[in-house]
Amino acid sequence: MNFITIDKKDWAPGIDKSRKTFRVYGPVEDENGCQIKPLAPDTAPKMDAPVTVMSAKSVLFPQTEKILTATLDESKQDHHVMTPVETDDMPRVVLGIRPYDAKAVQLVKLNFDNPDYQDPYWCAAYEATTFVGLGVTHPGPCDFSTAVGCGPFSEEGLDVLMADMDDKYLAKILTKKGENWVAACGFDTEADPKESQVLFDVLRKEAEKQIQTDLATDKLAGKTILDLYDAPFWDDVAFSCINCGTCTYVCPTCWCFDIQDETRHNTAVRFRNWDTCMSSLFTHHASGHNPRGTKVHRVRQRFMHKLKYFLDKYDQGIMCVGCGRCVASCPVNIDIREVCNRMNDYETTK
Amino acid sequence: MDTCIEKIRAIGADLLAKGTVEKVIGFADGSIPMATRPIALTSDKEVDKLVFNSVCGLNLANYVSKNSLSSKEGKIAVVAKGCDARNLVTHIVENQISREQIYIIGVPCTGMVDKRKIAALFDDEITGFEEHGDTLTITSASKTETVKKADVLRHNCRVCTHSNPPVYDVMAGDPVEEQTLDHPYEDVDQIAAMDLDARWAYFENLTKNCIRCYACRNACPLCYCPTCFVDESSPQWVGKGQNEIDVTTFHFLRAFHCAGRCTDCGACVEACPMGINVRDFTRKLNKDALELFGWEAGLVLDKRPPLDAYSPNDPNDFIK
Amino acid sequence: MMGNLLEHMGIDRDRIHFSWISSAEATKFVDVVREISEKVRALGPNKKFVKDYTK
Repeated sequence: MNFITIDKKDWAPGIDKSRKTFRVYGPVEDENGCQIKPLAPDTAPKMDAPVTVMSAKSVLFPQTEKILTATLDESKQDHHVMTPVETDDMPRVVLGIRPYDAKAVQLVKLNFDNPDYQDPYWCAAYEATTFVGLGVTHPGPCDFSTAVGCGPFSEEGLDVLMADMDDKYLAKILTKKGENWVAACGFDTEADPKESQVLFDVLRKEAEKQIQTDLATDKLAGKTILDLYDAPFWDDVAFSCINCGTCTYVCPTCWCFDIQDETRHNTAVRFRNWDTCMSSLFTHHASGHNPRGTKVHRVRQRFMHKLKYFLDKYDQGIMCVGCGRCVASCPVNIDIREVCNRMNDYETTK
Repeated sequence: MDTCIEKIRAIGADLLAKGTVEKVIGFADGSIPMATRPIALTSDKEVDKLVFNSVCGLNLANYVSKNSLSSKEGKIAVVAKGCDARNLVTHIVENQISREQIYIIGVPCTGMVDKRKIAALFDDEITGFEEHGDTLTITSASKTETVKKADVLRHNCRVCTHSNPPVYDVMAGDPVEEQTLDHPYEDVDQIAAMDLDARWAYFENLTKNCIRCYACRNACPLCYCPTCFVDESSPQWVGKGQNEIDVTTFHFLRAFHCAGRCTDCGACVEACPMGINVRDFTRKLNKDALELFGWEAGLVLDKRPPLDAYSPNDPNDFIK
Repeated sequence: MMGNLLEHMGIDRDRIHFSWISSAEATKFVDVVREISEKVRALGPNKKFVKDYTK
């Protein structure tokens, strides 16, 4: 069974059925816009939601995650010994995410799950999670996913890819995880594989046509890090930057974090929080020295990491899936597409 | 509406050509609809890049403070709406810059639009935005909407009573008529009418989606501290995670640091990716500054802000 | 103004107190602290602006 159809009448009841075995996440709307959040009982995901302000990365990598605790009570034998917190490894499903958010998870995976290092918290969450994507039929003006090896109907990283067909969803089941979720919902109306694939291809082509962007990344790999680092345009790129963390927090591929210990009375807790290279604190040494002391340093770091260091280190393209969230949310309209093109086109005169 | 842009460009070109100023800081068009970006020009050949329209919602005073200027730099011209100019005055009064360093190109402002309000008219993403006089034409893939600018103004612009720069070197247009309001702080009064628990719940709900990106702080011209209290690590005043009390502490204390200084320019709300109306904190302080001290920030160069000076007449009935 | 903002945010005014006490006014200090303690005790435990580490 590769393709099924899901009547929209059966959608909400199916999700409710799956709650026995899955914790369900999906787009939820409130006064601050749409976000991927845990779905409260009896609420259906807002499938026709616009792009969520934040990506789906927090499902695997929460902005604040309690990782260890200890007691400071010296009468206890294990006082001051950090112990892992109990985590909830119940399978979870993220509904209605955009395909580029699933691809982003695969890029983040290179950092959190590789031969040298496996992050236990991220890996456990990844194992437990099923991604059900919804193809984007009307990409917005910020979407440039096709230019970075992704696209509005990209399947990479997804377990199920769905397409909105007015009164029903057409779903392509891509993995075993996807099969399990479909079974848990009781969705079982098989669709003709050949016809369905044709439909998907038509929708994909229609959607891809709507993305107009002249982003080029082809020459980035051929440049030296130092040439790009010393390029003359960084002051110009950084001028308007106010050094907030918006671009990094809304980014589905930004993975940097900070470890914080907090104590109160006899309880000590170790948290992991998202961090942002836009903050001067990010590289502030205990000595007081800061190797990235100005905003130009920090802006350059963000783009060099995404568009050069990552590319050189992993050879998996740039660290960007073209969701355009940073473009849409940046208070001063710093556009990664323009910066990328400037880097790509830059020829040193030396 | 005459957006004064031709005049702004002419003034900018003249200042740069004559060498009166080293830089002109203004707004340029953005890469997506309804976006502009702050820009610094150094040549009179570039002035065509300057724009001024209803989506210049940030505050350019933010780009001239001790942190962003080196003392070696010459005079800098800033394109300033009423609120930008008031923040430049505040910078001068707070010794961030000297009056001589700044050349204020004053723009009589007819208000900035609330991008979220406009986005809410559509189910899909906005692909086009055009402005003709006081009419806005906004398009998406599915439809075109024509709205009156007055209907989609930001809240701080709707209640603004200082559209014209109080201090300037040159004006790029004739002053606009200032409005007078019967109830300037209706929004504050609405919160004040709730009982204590409802107010607490209101503010908890207000900041529940805050991601602590600090865009509000960094877009604010008042927030020029070399190290913000939330970034201090020895001692660490506030937890850095998403605990709601830490989030509230940040917003409460940041607002209080703006007491008697805030011009209600709305840059904080404009910058917030979540659209949180953080002005709910600062508006209460502005109201108190007005009622207790008869003070509105950034109007005059020769008076100290109320919390910066002592007067025997200061209200002190809170001290028991 | 700080007290006003705190009250505006829903903190009980009786939990906020401002006094001038000179270093020579030991008895005033004691009296003020006693008065505040009694007021706050009567209000019961504060639930606002308190971090919950069990979460």
